[in-house]
Amino acid sequence: MKKRTLLAFAGALALSLSVGVTAMAESLDTENPVLIGYVGALSGDTALWGQAGLNGMELTAKQINEAGGILGREVKIIGLDGKGVADDSVAAYKKLVEEDGVCAVVGTNFSSCNIPIAAVAGELEVPVIATAASNELVTVAEDGTLNEYSFRLCFIDSYMGYLAGSYAYNELGLKTCAVIEDITDSYSISVGDYMVDTFTELGGELVASEEAQHGDNDFRAQLTKIAAAQPDVLFVPWNYAEVALIAQQARELGITSVLFGADGWDTSELTDLANGSLEGCYYISRPGFNLPDAAAYGEIYAAEYNVDLESECLYGNDGVMWIKQAIETAGSDDPKAIRDALENTESFDGLLGHMSVDPATHNPSRDAAVFTIKDDVVEYVGIYNPEE
Amino acid sequence: MKILIQQMITGISIGSVYALIASGYALVYSLLDFSNWAHGEVCMLGAYVCFMATTVGTLPYWLSCVIGIGGAALISLFNEKLAYRTIRNNGSPNMFLMIAAMGLSTTYQNLANVVWGSKFKQLPKIFAVGTININGVFIGTTDMVCLVVAAVMLVVLLLIINKTKFGLHVRAVACSGRTAGLLGIKIDRVIAAVFMLAGALAGLAGIMYGMKYNIYPTMGNVGIKAFIASVIGGLGSVPGAIAGAVLLGLIETVVSGYISSGLRDLISFSLLILILLIRPSGLFGVDVQEKA
Repeated sequence: MKKRTLLAFAGALALSLSVGVTAMAESLDTENPVLIGYVGALSGDTALWGQAGLNGMELTAKQINEAGGILGREVKIIGLDGKGVADDSVAAYKKLVEEDGVCAVVGTNFSSCNIPIAAVAGELEVPVIATAASNELVTVAEDGTLNEYSFRLCFIDSYMGYLAGSYAYNELGLKTCAVIEDITDSYSISVGDYMVDTFTELGGELVASEEAQHGDNDFRAQLTKIAAAQPDVLFVPWNYAEVALIAQQARELGITSVLFGADGWDTSELTDLANGSLEGCYYISRPGFNLPDAAAYGEIYAAEYNVDLESECLYGNDGVMWIKQAIETAGSDDPKAIRDALENTESFDGLLGHMSVDPATHNPSRDAAVFTIKDDVVEYVGIYNPEE
Repeated sequence: MKILIQQMITGISIGSVYALIASGYALVYSLLDFSNWAHGEVCMLGAYVCFMATTVGTLPYWLSCVIGIGGAALISLFNEKLAYRTIRNNGSPNMFLMIAAMGLSTTYQNLANVVWGSKFKQLPKIFAVGTININGVFIGTTDMVCLVVAAVMLVVLLLIINKTKFGLHVRAVACSGRTAGLLGIKIDRVIAAVFMLAGALAGLAGIMYGMKYNIYPTMGNVGIKAFIASVIGGLGSVPGAIAGAVLLGLIETVVSGYISSGLRDLISFSLLILILLIRPSGLFGVDVQEKA
C-alpha cells in the first residue's frame, strides 16, 4: 500500500512537472523579448572565431527559450559584423544599443576592438562582455580608472604570460628563452613581455628578443638571430597562421627549441598548417571542450552547425548564460541593473569552468589549461595553477 | 659571417618571388604604360586554382601546378579582353586602365573571400619541413626548389624577350605600338600573349607563395612589394624588375635582421619615394626605346 502511494505520488509529481514545463514553454513571452547583442568578426581573416561565437550564442538562446526563457521572456540574439577592426566594432556596438535597444552585448574577441568599445559603453551605459579580449586596458583605462560597463570572460594577458613563463621554467625545467613579438598587436606585446618577465624573474635568461609585424609571412631574418642564440624555449605569442609559419621556418633554420604560446594558438587549424613543426610545443589557453559539460555542448553544437568546433562558441554560451544569471539576480533586464549584477558576480559556472569577478578591475579569476602537441595532435595536459 | 650568408639566402629567396611578379608588371607596363594593379590577384587566383586541383580534383601535384599556372594565364588574358582592350578601343585615357585594374583587384579579392572563405589554406609540401645544412647555413628544401625554378623561369623569360621572334614583336610594340602596327605586327595579339605570359609567371609565384607560406584572399597584396621592385629596377624593364626584386628582398631581410623589422616597410617605401624623386627611370634607367 505504502509502495503504491509512493508510486502514485511520483506519477503525480512527474505529471505536474511535465505540465509545468509545457505550461512554461507555452507561456514564453515572445512579445517582449530580452535582446542580447553580439559583435564579432563575421567576415575577414578571423571570421572563423567570430562566427563560432555567434553560433554558440544562438544555440544557447535556443536552449534557454526551450527551457522557459529568462524571467519567462524569450531571448533573442542580434549579431553584427565588427570585421575584427576597431571602427566597425564600435559602430556595431552603437547600432546594437541605439537602434536595436539591446540590454547587454557580448564580444568581441579582440582587445584592439574592445578598448575603444569600452569607452563608448561608458557613455551609452549598456554593459559589454568581451570574450577572448585579454588586454588589461579592456576593463581598466590607462589612467587606472575602471571602465564601468566593460567586462570580460577570459583571463588577462598577464595571467597567460605568467602561466607560460612559470610552466616553461618550473615544470619543463628550461633555462634560456627568446621571444618574437608582433609589434603592431598589443596582445602579442603584452603576453610576450609577461612570458619573458616571469621566466627571467624565476631565474631564467633571455637570450634573444625579436619583433615582426602582422601580415608578415617571412620571419627568417629574425629567426636567424634566434637560431644563433639557441634558446631552450621560444615564446611565440601570435595567432595560429603566423605561429605555423614561424614554427616551420624556425625548424628549417635548425632551431630545436620548445615553442610556447598562448590562446592565439587555440584552433583546430593549427596542426594542419604547421606540418609537424610544432611537435613537443606547448600553449596556455582555456580548458576548451575538455571539461565534461563543454564536451557535451560541443556535440550538440557540432550536430547543429556541422562545422569544426572552435572554443569561441563556449564564450558565446558563457556570455549569454552570465547575462542570464545577472538578469535573474537583478530581477530585470535594465542595463544598469545587469551591470551591477555582473560586477558583483561571486560565482559563475560556465562551460569554460568556474569564475568569479574582481569588482575593482572586472577581471575574472578562472582556471587555465596547458596543451601540448604530440604526434601532430593537440593534447590536453591539464589545469595549471602555479600556486598549488 | 654565417648569419650574414643565412640572411642573404633568405633575402634572395624572398626576392625571387617578388621577381616573378615584378617582371609581369614590367612587361605590361612596357606595352601599355600603366600599372596593372590586378596582377597580385592573378597571383592569388593561380594559387587557389592549383589548390583546388590538388585537393578537390585530387590531381597529381605537378599537374595541379601546371593547371594553376595555366589558370592564372587565362585569368590574366580574361582581364585584358574584358576590361583593358575595351578601354583601349574606346580611346579612353590610360588612367582608366589603372582604375579598371584596381576595380578588378578588389573584385577578385572579395570573390575569393566568398568562394573559398577567409581561412588560411596550404598547398601540400613536396617535402616535409626539410632543410639542407651546409656548414651551419640552413636552406629549406622547398625554398631551394622555389629559388631554382624561379631562376630558370626568369632566364627563360629573358631569352624569350631577347632571342625569339615573339620577343622582337614585344619589344617593337613596346617601342612604338603605332609603328609596329603599321609594319604588320598584330598588336592586340602581342598584348594578349604578353598578358598570358605575365599571368603564368604570377601563377607560378602564387603557387610558390602558397607552398612557402599560406594561401588566403589578401595574399595578392604581395604585388605591392613587387611593384616597388619594378619601380626600383625601372618601370617597363624586365631585367630591371628582376634586379630590383632581389635587391628589395635583400634590403628587407638585412633591415629586419640587423636594424629593426618595425623599420622594414618604412625603409622599403622610403626607397621607393627616393627613387621616384632622384632617378624616376629606376636603377636600370631605360629609355623608351629600350623598354621590355
